[in-house]
Amino acid sequence: MSLDIRPIVSALLRNRTGAALVAVQIAITLAVLVNAVFIVEQRIQKIGRPTGIDVDNIFAISSDGFTSRFNYDASLREDLAYLRSVPGVIAASPTESIPLSGSGSSEELLTRPDQRSSDGTLANYFEMDEQGIKTLGVHLAAGRNFRADEIQPPIRRDNSGSDEGVPPEVIITQDLAQEMFPNQNALGKTVYDALKKPATIIGIIDHMHGSWANFGPPGEVAIFPRLPMLFGFYYLVRTQPGQRDAVMRRVEEHMESSNPNRVIKWVRPLSMFKQHLYESDRNMGIFLTTTTVLLLAVTSLGIFGLGTFNVSTRTKQIGTRRAIGARRIDIIRYFMVENGLITTAGIVAGCGLALAVGFWLTAHYNLPRLDLYYLVGGVLALWILGQIAVWQPARRASRVSPSVATRTV
Amino acid sequence: MLSYYLRLALKSFARTPGLTALMVCAIGFGIAGCVMILTVYHTESGNPIWWKNDRLYAVTMDSYDPAQPADKKHPSLPPAQLTYMDASYVHSSRIPQRSVVMFKSGGVLSGGIVDRKPVPVIARVTTSDFFAMFDVPFLYGSGWNASADSAPAPQIVISRKENTKLFGGINSVGRTIRWNDHEFRIVGVLNSWNPLPKFYDLNNGPFDDTEDVYIPFGWAQALQLQTAGSSSCWGAQEVKTYRDLLGSECLWIQMWVELPNKAALGRMQGFLDSYWSEQHRAGRFQRPRNNRLTNVDQWLADNDVVGDDDRVLVGLAFAFFAVCLINSVGMLLAKFLNGAAITGVRRALGASRRDVFTQHLVEVGALSATGALLGLGLSYLGLWGVRELHSLSATIGSGVQELARMDGTSVIVTMLLAIVAALAAGLYPAWRVGRLPPAVYLKSQ
Repeated sequence: MSLDIRPIVSALLRNRTGAALVAVQIAITLAVLVNAVFIVEQRIQKIGRPTGIDVDNIFAISSDGFTSRFNYDASLREDLAYLRSVPGVIAASPTESIPLSGSGSSEELLTRPDQRSSDGTLANYFEMDEQGIKTLGVHLAAGRNFRADEIQPPIRRDNSGSDEGVPPEVIITQDLAQEMFPNQNALGKTVYDALKKPATIIGIIDHMHGSWANFGPPGEVAIFPRLPMLFGFYYLVRTQPGQRDAVMRRVEEHMESSNPNRVIKWVRPLSMFKQHLYESDRNMGIFLTTTTVLLLAVTSLGIFGLGTFNVSTRTKQIGTRRAIGARRIDIIRYFMVENGLITTAGIVAGCGLALAVGFWLTAHYNLPRLDLYYLVGGVLALWILGQIAVWQPARRASRVSPSVATRTV
Repeated sequence: MLSYYLRLALKSFARTPGLTALMVCAIGFGIAGCVMILTVYHTESGNPIWWKNDRLYAVTMDSYDPAQPADKKHPSLPPAQLTYMDASYVHSSRIPQRSVVMFKSGGVLSGGIVDRKPVPVIARVTTSDFFAMFDVPFLYGSGWNASADSAPAPQIVISRKENTKLFGGINSVGRTIRWNDHEFRIVGVLNSWNPLPKFYDLNNGPFDDTEDVYIPFGWAQALQLQTAGSSSCWGAQEVKTYRDLLGSECLWIQMWVELPNKAALGRMQGFLDSYWSEQHRAGRFQRPRNNRLTNVDQWLADNDVVGDDDRVLVGLAFAFFAVCLINSVGMLLAKFLNGAAITGVRRALGASRRDVFTQHLVEVGALSATGALLGLGLSYLGLWGVRELHSLSATIGSGVQELARMDGTSVIVTMLLAIVAALAAGLYPAWRVGRLPPAVYLKSQ
């Protein structure tokens, strides 16, 4: 089948500007499309990565004892006894920070007491009690949970509490174990803090995300068996599936009035913190997707507009072609091929532009190198889009009656 | 003449309503995209206290771990905060016109007359110069005197929001209120004040809300207050008591100075350097000497307030606007050439090339003005959408939402730019149609 490219090219060359403008639009659109899809894909993966935590069935309570009459020990005992007695609650634990909240603590852990601090591993740690593991809903891949008698008193600045640094036992994640003891079994090994205080690894969590999403590896986490500091701490509560909201309401009502020497700052589901943690990634995804869709719409309208214009200015020419024997399909083919040529020119330029933008993003913004599959996908998508956009004008052209040729001369 | 051209333009629009609508939409969407993204970017990248950029300086000294930099992403920068002891010493200098040391702390406010329930608040524990230095506006009263700083007086400044919540918005100066169950006397009520970015303390988020209450710095030691912001400790140093914390290498104090001129800046730098040398000889400050006085512009840049994503979005906005413009040029060209027969008649009847050019440019102007109006409406909607996307942040206490508010200047600037760009885009098609030999088009009728 002959596509009759030569006459089409020479017609195009005689009316270059319109075609060139469409080609430039296609080039920019391709560059944006490919890189936007690439970035959005990464954000979706990042948001969707498993946290290891039973996010949907956990809520957090922020409690602040603010008067001098506030008794930390009694209040903690009373609150935990209450929380654990509420029907629908699986487990509850105090904690000094909330996982996935974007705010937390970390401690440099060393494999040898004489190791330099710069060679240590920064572990994102949580201070919880013996129900911590169960409350988070994380799984121990090896070892055991803390016993109640291993839970250390809170650190106090009046010298009456626990020391800072690591407690004698810790539970760490597989990720942290891998980082500190590559290709070894970390269970039973000893880690040290900056003060050279030793801690034995008594359990290993198979997977758990810590406080941050954009700050270091998210899964290098340690759990310290210690009650959180007196100053503003939290409770985490895990409920039976589907009962979180009901339990939350009931607990909030009770705890707000149970102790006049403290305030409950808020009671919030953990899913809210996770959503907030990834909010900027989600929004970036939404912005990029919206703009790219609009860009595609504008570009296809441009192709459609140029096609319509070409058809209307060439009515007589089409009529003449029809009169001397061209079939409808020939006319349609003419416009489709013409669009194909313009799109191809745009795509060739766009490939270069897309790679340049990708390279620039990698160089300046810490993004991985653009995957070439995305480029192939983008090229196909734009080619098909171009053909669809020109289909209606082409069909209209094919309906031009051969008599037009005779009428207007 | 203009009204005649406008009438012609309207007629021309009526001839091709579909194409006209497409062009208006293209221009409108292009402008909306730009206005939205640039509004957010403008606030993010702005300096909320630009008029003091040559006077305000953040004080930083690299007291960090000799084995590693404080921030691995910016190894050349000293940590953003100071130790208590360094901050206290530098604060004692008489060189700065004003000097502020401070941190953020949690707390509970009680004893209002409207809402009697205790409310959780964020407090800024700071020195008396804070308000004058950062040009903080007062609704009632004022800040406290310098004498209230060290032997701390029970004086408190509250935000307008808390004053409304607790006192129904009346002048509450002179009343007492309980902060963490300690009695304080209200000396000042702030007017609305929410600098974006929150340049004076970027630790927990550059767009966080300002604090609810302000108390004299001496209360830190008196009440053993802990920071609710960021604290970074390093090295083998046990911190068992509050006294240990004050003498430790933990970094948790923000410090700013106001220096009236270059000479003062030089003297202050000299002061920091000589303190550094003295401490260096005594065994502290074992990293290379890196004492900085950073102005607000540089401070915002050093702290990466404008994120990578925002820069990518700005690039995207311009790419999108470019495509919309090119699209309009293409369609205008098509439309004008399509109407060449009419233009031919006008030319034959005596209109000069220049007349034809002006007439078409008026048409472009009308189109882009309509597009700009549509764009304004769309960006208003779009920014509302962006605020909705950030609604969770607002609940959790960040002012990210406030970034997506239209401000007069950026709207006007963007719109003018957009209209100029659209007109520039219309130049070529208007010129092309004027160059057409009228005879050819007359013949074909």
